Amino acid sequence: MLQFPPWKVALILLALAWGVVMALPNVVNMQNAPGFMPKKGVNLGLDLQGGVYLMMEINPNEVIANRLEVFAGDVRGALSNVAPSERIGHIPEVKGRELEIKLTRPDADGNFPLDEALRRIRKLNGPVEGAIGGAKTYEIEPRGNDTIIVTVPQASEEALMKDALGKTMTIVRRRVDPDGVSEISITPQGNSRIILEAPGEPDPQRLKDLLSRDGKMTFNLVDNSPSAIAAAQRGVVKPGYRLLEGSTTGPLLVRTIPEVVGSDIANAAQGFDEANRPQINFRLNSNGARKFYNTTRSNSGKLFGIVLDDVIMSAPRINEPIAGGNVRITGDFTQEEAQDLAAIIEAGEMPAKVQFLDQRTVSPTLGHDSIRAGTRASIIGLVLVAIFMIVAYGLMGGLAVASLAANIILILGALSGLGATLTLPGIAGIILTIGMAVDANVLVFERIREEQRAGRSPMTAVQAGYERALSTILDANITTLIAAVILYLLGSGPVKGFAVTLAIGIVTSVFTAFVVTRWFTVMWLKAFRPKKLAV
Amino acid sequence: MLLKYWPEQTNLKFMNLRLIGAMVSALMIAASVFFLGTRGLNFGVDFAGGTVMELEQTDTITVEAVRAAMPLSAEVNSAVGTDARSIVVVKFGEADPAALGEAFQALPPAEQAERATGATNELVVRVLKEALGISDDQFLRNDSVGPKVSSELFRDGITALVVALVLMLAYIWFRFEWQFSVGAVAALAHDVIITLGVFSLLQMEFNLTTIAALLTIIGYSMNDTVVVFDRVREEKRKYKKMPDRQVIDLALNSTLSRTLLTSGTTLLALLAIFFLGGPVLRGMSFALIWGILIGTYSSIFIASSIVLALGMDLNKKPVEDVQGFQGAP
Repeated sequence: MLQFPPWKVALILLALAWGVVMALPNVVNMQNAPGFMPKKGVNLGLDLQGGVYLMMEINPNEVIANRLEVFAGDVRGALSNVAPSERIGHIPEVKGRELEIKLTRPDADGNFPLDEALRRIRKLNGPVEGAIGGAKTYEIEPRGNDTIIVTVPQASEEALMKDALGKTMTIVRRRVDPDGVSEISITPQGNSRIILEAPGEPDPQRLKDLLSRDGKMTFNLVDNSPSAIAAAQRGVVKPGYRLLEGSTTGPLLVRTIPEVVGSDIANAAQGFDEANRPQINFRLNSNGARKFYNTTRSNSGKLFGIVLDDVIMSAPRINEPIAGGNVRITGDFTQEEAQDLAAIIEAGEMPAKVQFLDQRTVSPTLGHDSIRAGTRASIIGLVLVAIFMIVAYGLMGGLAVASLAANIILILGALSGLGATLTLPGIAGIILTIGMAVDANVLVFERIREEQRAGRSPMTAVQAGYERALSTILDANITTLIAAVILYLLGSGPVKGFAVTLAIGIVTSVFTAFVVTRWFTVMWLKAFRPKKLAV
Repeated sequence: MLLKYWPEQTNLKFMNLRLIGAMVSALMIAASVFFLGTRGLNFGVDFAGGTVMELEQTDTITVEAVRAAMPLSAEVNSAVGTDARSIVVVKFGEADPAALGEAFQALPPAEQAERATGATNELVVRVLKEALGISDDQFLRNDSVGPKVSSELFRDGITALVVALVLMLAYIWFRFEWQFSVGAVAALAHDVIITLGVFSLLQMEFNLTTIAALLTIIGYSMNDTVVVFDRVREEKRKYKKMPDRQVIDLALNSTLSRTLLTSGTTLLALLAIFFLGGPVLRGMSFALIWGILIGTYSSIFIASSIVLALGMDLNKKPVEDVQGFQGAP
């Protein structure tokens, strides 16, 4: 217990040096330091930096309903878009989590071609993405003599949700951070939730507006004859058309089937028109550009509606065929609106709507206040504990305080080095470990006192003190560590930050109390060889 | 230094007081259960759902002005925020669907229920910005939690507490005997119930950080109990003939100065947070301060008394020297 061979000393010094190097950027500006030195201090949580935290969820029912819609399209292809003699008349309908396909045309004997329809539909049923053992995506069963029910089994639902969540995350990222430069973090939670943390951003409403849109972009031909619009407003809508609104265009009849769709868009960006008003420019890919050219060539004089989420953004008149696929939307936008719309258009359509479950905003002002209050509380707490230890134990207390300083440096270093996030409760965790770190020292010192009273020399008293306190220190700290780990696993946000600092603090305080203080004590004993230890 | 003046061997008969301790604890638990049953806990938005906003108080942004501008009934109070800033705290639940616009009312009922909190929040922000000209940065804090998440957070919090208790029980069982683990966990449950009772009595806000504090109290109280138990085991092996009651008193006395010192330093650090750390940490540090007092008390009067009542049979089990742990002679 009292031997410190050079390699041990080297390891201790190395650990302390690592702590100092890692902790340094928190105290001084390291921008001009040599390349191998870390430049970044500890990450501050949103409660200390200010920012927006949003928890959103995609609804499994909606994801499944959307997938079943797509599957209904495939079914139509297999049953209707075939040679006339092969056609099977049917009406598909998505009802909640199932797709009902009702056959409509019985043969001369009144029997429906159920078996043939089942055979063709089952052929469309692919394996679950990423599944082992070839499980199928859909469960396809007949019901009665004329109906087929398509449902999504559990295993497949998980795969679909995973896929939808991944797509949604990509779209969320592209919408809120189109240039990929901000420090916004987007992380999945479970299989249906996404957590977005945007440091510094003071306006949650803008983020929510950006994310709550479907982003379904289409180009549709428009019928703007006043009589047809008036009829539609009375409830008689021209077949194949829908009545939609637009803030600059007013109500218009829009063809249900679009000419060009969102996936035909290569990219979109905000720009300015001739009068220097913000507009949205986008470029179509080659497929989209061809469709756009064909449509504009054969529909001269008509209006071409640009529709986003069932709202007409603009409806310019087609004067001449447009080739090249460069399109723009002008309108009554602010620059910020145009930027956001461009990001939404470029990111594409969400697989399902997101819902916001939990929203927390902290302004940077409050963040700075919290940092100041937390730092002040830590320093005063540390000073009080140091005074207390020195008053109680004298010189040995001083050694413990020195190792406490080493402890703080190691905690800061570990937090920075591990890329952990420091939150306000995390600061409380550090202060708490300051108080508790002393415990290990106290346990040892009390043992040393007892051993000395039993008549042992300082050296053997120190030796015995450390040996006998070890199991107590380990037991006591492992139990607290258990609490910290549970907090980390079940906690969220700031509480997680508390758990991390508490856990790191427990490990470093055992190390500093048991190794660093002991080393200090032994060095001091060897240097001065006192007759009696004053503890 | 000063510790020299601490008596070398205290000889307090803690176990003579165990009946009084048991009665005091029983009373406190009964009172806690009573308060929890009648007054309940003052849940923050984490667990109750709804919105809490903090606005920077200025000449135009005052409690009266905010109260007058609010489109629905809300609790509006003035308070001292972090770093002595004057703030206006606004708390509210969900607005009437009629106030949330046609688009909202068109949603299916299940979706309305889930979105009402967020929609109300948006409405209030819009109204306050228009009426009082509040800028984004003057919304110091704006937290709104929907019903789904708040009930989940509550469930997770309770799960965390229960899992922690079970793991502690298992660890102490593994390291000591079952009597010790029963004593330790009974003491922990005692601490948690009484802390909840105090939160109910004072109607202090109970939120996620309070759960974190409760778990830390569990860890700390455990820490204290383990130190005492370690000593009990050691003394029991040293003085095989001594009655259990004396063994426990001896262990409590020889760890007494450590108990007081550690509680003292931790309390000093926590008092610094309580007074200087701002309102966000006040509930948490209050729970921790209370928890350290009650945890120290319970490891002496509850954990040890239960071990005494259940009896120790350390001699049945062969003592092993586990590497890294110091076995007893």
